Amino acid sequence: MSPSRPASGAQITAADVAALYAGANFYSPSVGDTTRVTLIDWLTGLLGETGPLPLLKPESMPATSWCAALCILGSGAALADLPPAGDEFVTAVRTLERTIDRPLAAVYPLAAATVSALFPVIAAAQLGLPLLDCDGMGRAFAQINQTTMFLAGLSVSPAVLTGAAGETFTLTSPNSERADVLSRSALDVLGGWAAFAAYPASIGDTARGASRGNVSRLLEVGRLLLEPMSTDLLVNRLSAVNATRRIARGRIVDLEHLTRPADLSVPTHPTSAVLDEVGGAILRLELRSEIVAAFVDGVLTAAAPDLISLFDVRSGRMAALDSLENGDLLDVLVTPADAVWYSPEGLALVGPSVHHIPLDHPRRR
Amino acid sequence: MTPPAAFSAPTVPLTMSELLRLDPLAKVEVAHRSATDQPVQGVDLANSFARLRRVPPHTLVVLSDEADSGGWSLATSLHLAWERAAAGVVISSRSLSASGSLLAERLDITLLVAERDPVDLALALAAQVSAPGSARALRIARCAEQLADQTAIRGIIAVLARELDPLPVALVAGSTLLAGRAAAVADKPGTQLVKVPVTTATGHLFAELVTRIPAGAGDSGTVESLLALGRTPILAAWAQGRLQQAGRVELERVSFRMLRDAAAAPAVLDLPLATGLTEPASWPGELGWQLDGINRAIWLTRSTPTAPPADGEQDEMTQLVHSLWHTVLPNWPLAPDEDGWVSWSTGSTDRPAAMRRAARSLSDLLSRHGLVAGIGGAHPGARGLVRSREEARLTARVATTLAAGSIEWFDQIGVRAALGWLPIHSLEGVAQLCLTDLLAAKDRRALISTVLAVLDNGGSLSVAAGTLGVHRNTVLARLARARELGLTFDQPQVRLAVHTLCFALDTAWGHAAMEPDRTPPGRRELMR
Repeated sequence: MSPSRPASGAQITAADVAALYAGANFYSPSVGDTTRVTLIDWLTGLLGETGPLPLLKPESMPATSWCAALCILGSGAALADLPPAGDEFVTAVRTLERTIDRPLAAVYPLAAATVSALFPVIAAAQLGLPLLDCDGMGRAFAQINQTTMFLAGLSVSPAVLTGAAGETFTLTSPNSERADVLSRSALDVLGGWAAFAAYPASIGDTARGASRGNVSRLLEVGRLLLEPMSTDLLVNRLSAVNATRRIARGRIVDLEHLTRPADLSVPTHPTSAVLDEVGGAILRLELRSEIVAAFVDGVLTAAAPDLISLFDVRSGRMAALDSLENGDLLDVLVTPADAVWYSPEGLALVGPSVHHIPLDHPRRR
Repeated sequence: MTPPAAFSAPTVPLTMSELLRLDPLAKVEVAHRSATDQPVQGVDLANSFARLRRVPPHTLVVLSDEADSGGWSLATSLHLAWERAAAGVVISSRSLSASGSLLAERLDITLLVAERDPVDLALALAAQVSAPGSARALRIARCAEQLADQTAIRGIIAVLARELDPLPVALVAGSTLLAGRAAAVADKPGTQLVKVPVTTATGHLFAELVTRIPAGAGDSGTVESLLALGRTPILAAWAQGRLQQAGRVELERVSFRMLRDAAAAPAVLDLPLATGLTEPASWPGELGWQLDGINRAIWLTRSTPTAPPADGEQDEMTQLVHSLWHTVLPNWPLAPDEDGWVSWSTGSTDRPAAMRRAARSLSDLLSRHGLVAGIGGAHPGARGLVRSREEARLTARVATTLAAGSIEWFDQIGVRAALGWLPIHSLEGVAQLCLTDLLAAKDRRALISTVLAVLDNGGSLSVAAGTLGVHRNTVLARLARARELGLTFDQPQVRLAVHTLCFALDTAWGHAAMEPDRTPPGRRELMR
C-alpha cells in the first residue's frame, strides 16, 4: 500500500490529495485535466494550513445535527475559463445556514466524482467542518435530483448557488425535478458554473438516504490508480475494492457523433464509440456526459447506473471521454452502483430509459 | 374435407436472393448479404424492440420508428433479428453506420438499406412473399428481358450467373467448359446438378447449361426455367459467331488465292505487292497480314490427303483449325489454301527460331487432330511468300507419309520432296498384282522393310542390319525369303521399280498402323 495512506483512515491530509483527484477521475471519466494543477495545489496548500480534515461516518455524529451536500454545478470548461475566487462554497453554505436558520455541523459531496469530489473537501477545510463519508450518487449523474437522498424522500431545496462574482441564488421548490431546471437557468447568468449547497437535512436522515463510505472508497481507488502495476493486477484490485469487472478489451474503430436526436432531458450530445474487441465481438459504447450503455454484438451488457469506465492500456491511465481517438486500445470496466439504483425507482431515475434506451437493464433481465 | 388440388402442395417460399432480384429490393443498397440464402416466410414492420422479440423465424424485418433510430438501436435490432433467425433486416439510410454494417457482417445477417417509406415497402414485400409464383414469373420475365439484350455467349452466361447468384453457372460441351464457372460441373457433396441441353434446330446437342443447387432444394423448377431461357440466345450467339468466322475465313481464302494468282501474273504482282512503287493493295493490311520483309510459310494439311473429305467436312475442319490455331498462335495469320491451311512469319530478317517455337506449339494440336505440316524456305516479299508456301506445301505432302503431328522443313528435304507426290495407294495396288505371293506372307512387313533398308543403304547388308537393329544373318535370311516370294531386287533394270514399290508399301502400312514411331528408321533416313 502507499505510504501516504492515513493511519486512522478517518481523515484527509495533504498527502491524500493526489489520490483524491485520481479517484475522482475514475468515477467520472468525462472530467478533463484543465483544472487539475490548480485544484491539487490549492487543496494541498489548504490542508497544509488547516491540518488533516476529519472524514467521519454519518452515524458517528449526532443524528439531530444538520448537514448539507455540496458540489460544483455546471460546466468544467466554464470553471477553467472563470476560476473560482475561493470563497464561493463558504458563501453558499453560510447563505444556506441563514435560509434554514440553523448551523450545519458537517458537509458531504453531492457526487463523489469529478471536481465535485474535491470542492467539498476544500469547503469543509475552509469552514472548519468535518466531511461526512457519504455522497448522493456514488459517481456523477447529470441532474441534481438524481441522488439516493431524493430516492429516500429528502428534498433538494432549499439550495444555494454562488457564482464566481460572489452572486448568490437561493432556490426553494417543493419539486426536486423543477429545482434542477431552475438551477440550470440560474447557471447561465452566474457564469456557467456555481458552488452548490443543497439537501439540508439532519445527519440522521442523511445517513439513511445517502450512499455511505463513498469518499473513503474513492480514496482507496485513487491510491490504486497511482500505484504502478499491470493492468490485470489493477483490475483485480479494483474488483476487490469496487466489484469492478472488465467486460472487454478492444480497439476503437469508429467514433460516431450525433447518432441520435439529442435527449432534451440530458444536456449532452450523444456519441458512440465502436470497439473491435480482441475476442472478435463488436462493442458499442453510448456516450453522453458519461458512458450510459455498452452493447456487445448488439446485446445491452452494461448500462447506467453501472459506472462504465475506460482504461487506456497503452498509457496505463483512465481514458477521458473527450480525448478518445480511433486506434486507442482500451479496457472497458464496469463498476456496479449502489444497490438502491437498481430498484425500479432508481432505474426510473437514472437507468437506460432516461437516455432513451427502452431496454431492460441487464441486472433486471 | 380434402382441399382443392391447387392448394394441396404449398408453394416453395421465396428466398432472400430471389427477393433481391425483384423490385423493390432490387434497388436497395445491400450493406451485408448473408452467406445463407434463407427462405422468406413473412414480412414484419417492426416499430419497437418488443415487436422484434416476437417475430417468427425466416421473417424479413422492416424497421421503423423506435427500432430504426440508428446508433445503438440498430445494433440492438440486428441482434434481436439474429436471435429470432430473421431472414434479413431493412433499415432507412439515416440509420446506417459503418459499425452497423460491421455487426451485420459479424452476425451474418442480411442488412438492406432502403430509401422508401417503411410502411409502403413492407406492404409491397408482403404481397410478393404471399404470392411466390407470381414473383417468380416476374423474375423469369425480367431475366428474359435481360437475355434479349445479350449477343455474346459470355454475356448470356453472365446474366444467368447474376440471376442465379450464388449458384455457379456454366456452359459445357461434354467435359469441356465453354463459359462460366468450373464449380458448376465440379462434384460437390450436398449439391445436385441441374442440366438444360442446348440443341440445334437439327436436334444436334451443341452444349449443356449447368448449375449446382443444394441437394433437396425445393425450387429446382425455377432454376431450370431460368437456364432454359438461355438456350435460344446461346444458339443465336453461337450461330452469329459461326457466321462471322465463316465470313472471315472465306475472305482469307479468297485473299490468299488472289495473292497466289498475283504471283502467277508478274505484271499484277510486281506493281502492288513486290515493288511497292505505287499504291499497294489494301486487302492484306485489312486482314492484318504483313508481307514486306522475309517470309517463311507453314502449310498444314490432313495426314491422309489421299482420302478426300466428305461434303462439308473440310469446312468443319477449317472452323476447328481456326479456333484452335488462335489459341496457340493468336498473332499469326491463317488462311484456308486449297486442301490445307497456310500461315507465315514475317520479319526484317529470317527468324527460323520463331518458326521452330511455333512448330513446337503446334505439335500437340496437329497430332490430336490428324494433321501434319510443312515449313517452306525464307524468301523476301509477297512473291517470296508465295514461293515459300509452295515449298511448305510440297514438304507437307512428304509429311503426310509420316505420322500425324509430323512437321517437316523444306530446307532439310530438298529434292526428296518429290517422294511426297508419289501415288502411294495406286502403287499399293500395283504391288497387289505384281507381288502376290509376298503380300500373302505373314512376315511381309518385315521382308519389305528389310529390302527397303538394303536398297536405302546402297546394298550394304551390315548398314541395313544396323538400321533395322537386327543381325546381318537375319537380313540375309529375309532377302533370301523375299527372293523366293518373287521380289527380285538386285537386277539393275528393276531396282528403281522395286525400291518405289517397297517405299509405297512401307508408307501405306505405316499409315495403317497410325503410330508415328512405326515408321522404319531406314525410311525416315531416306526422307531426310
